[in-house]
Amino acid sequence: MLALQLLFNGLVTGCALGVVAVTFSLVYSTTKLFHVAHAGIFTLSGYIAWSLSRQGVPFILAMAAAVAASAAAGAAIQAWLYARLERKNATHLVILIASLGTLAVMQNIIAAVYTPNILQFSLPWAGEVVAAGGKVRLTAIQVVIALASLAVYGGLMWFAHRTILGKQMRAVASNPFLAEITRLRPRRVHVLVMAIASAAVAVPGVLQPVDLGLQPYNGTTPLLTATIAMIAGGVGSITGAFVLAVVIAELQNMSLLFIPGEWSIGVTFFIFVVFMLFRPTGLFAAAR
Amino acid sequence: MKRRGLIAAFALLTGMGAAQAEPIRIGAILPLTGPGALIGTQQMRGIQFAIDQANEKGGIRGEKIEVIFEDNQAKPDQSILSLNKLVDLQHLQVIFTAYSGPSLAMAPLATRKKILLINAGAQADKLATASPYLINTLPTIGGEIAVLSKYLAAEGKKKGVVLFENDAAGISGRDDYLDAFPKAGGTIEAQEPTQFGQTDFRPALLKLADAKPEVMLVSITAGLKNMAQQYKQLGLGFTVAGTTFFQDPEVVADPGSEGFIHTQVRIDAPPEVAAEFQKRFNTGMEFFVRQYYNATQMLLTTIDRMIEEKQPLTGENVRAEIFKIKKFQGLIPLEFNSNTATVPIDINKMTGGKDVTVKQMSSD
Repeated sequence: MLALQLLFNGLVTGCALGVVAVTFSLVYSTTKLFHVAHAGIFTLSGYIAWSLSRQGVPFILAMAAAVAASAAAGAAIQAWLYARLERKNATHLVILIASLGTLAVMQNIIAAVYTPNILQFSLPWAGEVVAAGGKVRLTAIQVVIALASLAVYGGLMWFAHRTILGKQMRAVASNPFLAEITRLRPRRVHVLVMAIASAAVAVPGVLQPVDLGLQPYNGTTPLLTATIAMIAGGVGSITGAFVLAVVIAELQNMSLLFIPGEWSIGVTFFIFVVFMLFRPTGLFAAAR
Repeated sequence: MKRRGLIAAFALLTGMGAAQAEPIRIGAILPLTGPGALIGTQQMRGIQFAIDQANEKGGIRGEKIEVIFEDNQAKPDQSILSLNKLVDLQHLQVIFTAYSGPSLAMAPLATRKKILLINAGAQADKLATASPYLINTLPTIGGEIAVLSKYLAAEGKKKGVVLFENDAAGISGRDDYLDAFPKAGGTIEAQEPTQFGQTDFRPALLKLADAKPEVMLVSITAGLKNMAQQYKQLGLGFTVAGTTFFQDPEVVADPGSEGFIHTQVRIDAPPEVAAEFQKRFNTGMEFFVRQYYNATQMLLTTIDRMIEEKQPLTGENVRAEIFKIKKFQGLIPLEFNSNTATVPIDINKMTGGKDVTVKQMSSD
């Protein structure tokens, strides 16, 4: 029972982390920018939905508004900050520092407005227990998180491979100079990719706090995991980032069967360090 | 007239007042800004309320009392500066303190300068032995855990596991459980850490549940409501037990906490006192208001006795007089057999969204 329950919990957490990893990977592979402020968008989306929900707005509408606001915030960061810095020939290190600064500002504003306390959604249905077969117990919101995250992953795969914008995005990612010459307008594509990635990350950004509560610094740990998943999965591979995020979450959960909890994170990441030694380009690098 | 002259002479001698018209002055180093300001303001109001009431009745044997507040932002380094300021510049001999870190930082200085510190808010175990000049009017966490362990063992809950936060406070609580629970006749079968601020307790709860405990002993300071909800969602049947920090209205009201057991330092204010406080401060008489009101009453009783006995009001003398009086009756009875008062402790059980007292005990 313990192993099965841990497996399912890991799957839920992994799916949510998978969306963070996939969206982070999308931004990185297209813009080549280490967009750490993505963690701020993830957190902000939850607070927007929470505020609207508290005002009596139905949850689904609050979530839709949070997704839209996150898309706008992501596009604004790209258009008004990163693009501006790039026009001034700022190095990627400078842009990384600007992104870190943006994350810190977002987190501090959220903490100042909402306090650093853990805030919770008031959605009684979310905590209802749904039997997932046998003795495994999942809540309704856990099931929603897993399904919604899988849907976002599927949607992003479809977008990247089946839409014109997706193909433009991959072209820009593959060769930005050629994309510029062929009038693909990389800067416009960058803004659109940032908006799409920010909208997508808002889905777990809203749903996960319904399960675990909101805190201003919620986004940092998922981003760390997402970064590792992106690199270990193979930079540019959507499936690689998603699968590796699930694997990391599963390792953290399942390792509890053998080791005490305080060793879980350390052992998980040690495995990845060893893995990267043998396959530094990542698991799905060839699939790019 | 002769008595007032003596008081003035004693005040002159001790630096507690420069002349007859000067009030008796005490200090309070509390977090009045920063993250601890909410609690610090409650503590300040508790002291001020007791002092105001005493002064409105004419003071202590005709002597007005004045309290000088210093803001330490709950920081140990700032507390040291504040202590030096109050002692060296203001010549104060008795100072209220709060929070474990600041109190522990000031303790060695208090010993060296023979200044009495009175703590009515912090509960770290080290406070009990930090300095002979640090008096605690509420039990340490270890004291509460000893009471809780005895109760649980008496109730037949002897197979325990520990969920603790992997930081100084959480580990200290875990160590108290590891010490007290076996002494009470129980066994600790497993222990699992969580990180401060973590809200996903499911993996740790599942692993602890695998040890098939009768009780889970909890030492976490954040995320208790999430833990309660996940405990319920996972359908875990064992008892959950903790200390005073369980008394969070949101946790009590949450269906997930049904059946949770915890110790609670008992301190109730009579309705007329609570109403008077509400009238003056336009807010309720919270736990830390009551604690510091009670501690101030204890100090005023001691000062009263010392004036009667014509003792100079030094930190050393106040400390000796507290042990001489030994038993105080304020909002709660305090008894000093050591630096940490023995106080009544309730065992509460969360039932139907309410925190119900099921047994009354006492700290050692």
